[in-house]
Amino acid sequence: MRKLLLAAAACAAAMALASCASLQHSWDQGNVETVAKLINGGQSAKLAAMSATPFLVDGEVVTLKNDIAGFWEGIIKAGYKVEGPALGEAAPVTADSYKQFADTMEVKSFFAEYVKKDTRVLELRTGAGGRILLIIRDSWFSKTIQGFKGPF
Amino acid sequence: MKKTLLSFGLALLITAAANAVPSDVTYAEGDVTTRLSSGKQQDTSIGDVLNTGDSVKTGQDGQAELDQKGVTIKVSHGTVFTLMERSQAGQTSSVMSVALGSIRFRYDKLTGQEPMVRTNGAVAGVRGTEFSVFAGADGSTLIAVDSGQVTVQAEGKSVELASAEGVEVPLGQPPGDKFVVHSDQIDYSKWNGDKLSAMLADPIAALQSVQTALTGYIKDANDYSSMLKDYREKLLAEQQKLAAIRNEKGKAEGDKYASEIVSPLLTQTINLGLNMRFSALAALSLRRFVGGRLYLFMKERYIANVEDPTYTDFLAQYDSLLSSFEQSIVPFLVQADI
Repeated sequence: MRKLLLAAAACAAAMALASCASLQHSWDQGNVETVAKLINGGQSAKLAAMSATPFLVDGEVVTLKNDIAGFWEGIIKAGYKVEGPALGEAAPVTADSYKQFADTMEVKSFFAEYVKKDTRVLELRTGAGGRILLIIRDSWFSKTIQGFKGPF
Repeated sequence: MKKTLLSFGLALLITAAANAVPSDVTYAEGDVTTRLSSGKQQDTSIGDVLNTGDSVKTGQDGQAELDQKGVTIKVSHGTVFTLMERSQAGQTSSVMSVALGSIRFRYDKLTGQEPMVRTNGAVAGVRGTEFSVFAGADGSTLIAVDSGQVTVQAEGKSVELASAEGVEVPLGQPPGDKFVVHSDQIDYSKWNGDKLSAMLADPIAALQSVQTALTGYIKDANDYSSMLKDYREKLLAEQQKLAAIRNEKGKAEGDKYASEIVSPLLTQTINLGLNMRFSALAALSLRRFVGGRLYLFMKERYIANVEDPTYTDFLAQYDSLLSSFEQSIVPFLVQADI
């Protein structure tokens, strides 16, 4: 009987973990799709409103709100579209996450100073085989984009 | 070694910061934020006090007014303004840095010790009572004097401006010829828009100007670092000697030696540390508000066409700029600077 209870508990824990992972995957998927949809829909003002200051673009720490708004506006004006967006790798930030953007002291300091532990680095794969990295902090009440790298 | 020197320099700067002149925020409207020297960012409010290393940034709808002991500083929209400090002729002096945007300065009275004003490409010695400084997207500077006199220096050349005179300083070049102007005749948005268009029309030339100016800052930072290393060694030797004198000859002899030899050496060492940091922070301002913004503008423009040779050539040149910055300036910076 005791063995049966233990097996049931282990099974429940495994199911809970799987369901958590599945929930996280679905949140991550939703987040990359949201960003892609906003870019494709020309919603630069919404993207700017969701963006944190400072913001990371590739290896550049952007500290002016107008420049962040100008970045979203500029890429949309240039006709950039994210075709066939899909979630690639997704992971919480770690001490080494900065290296995915640029292995520099500036980017390392950006992560250390401004990126909280519950933030995730999401890879957005495009239909054409390109990749974009996004730094996204998601909670029940708000979604914040902290960085963008790519396409590469 | 540079990191050790930097720690030593920063420790000394804490002592020097006591000489800094703070600025009071007397007016703030719209999007105005303060970045403290600690790296913390906050909304700017009337009554806030800004100290050395703090920056004020205004958004497109923001403006602010500061008071620094009789100097009124009107910060227009789209501006980045930082209070800095450096040593000149053995004296610690405040430096008001305009990295981007426009600022109007008004001095209620002149004391002969007015803070220097700097941009990414020029410095202005103030003997005037009212003048404006405009810092463009490409690192250019435009200074217009309404009353009094201002000396503008860049790349080893000086120009004296009197009332109703102005001068433009392209990044990495000496000041041009002075011309007749009143600051209220200058439309910053148009002037800056023209600078931006010219920069994007020839991004490689723009990057070369940034590289030229950066090379100057790198040289200054390295020179001060090298002198700081020598002075630090001298200071340590003198401090040991001082301890020996106190032991062997008593407190009175020790105090005399401290005031005649050790204290002046300590002051000189502090000043070298200040100037080393000043050069590194000036380079960071140049890299971020001219070089970094140019990168952003180019990325926006070419994101849908990344194979364009103009863009690939630009990226190759930009990597080289970043490499010099990373190797030569980053060792003098700390995390809070970013």
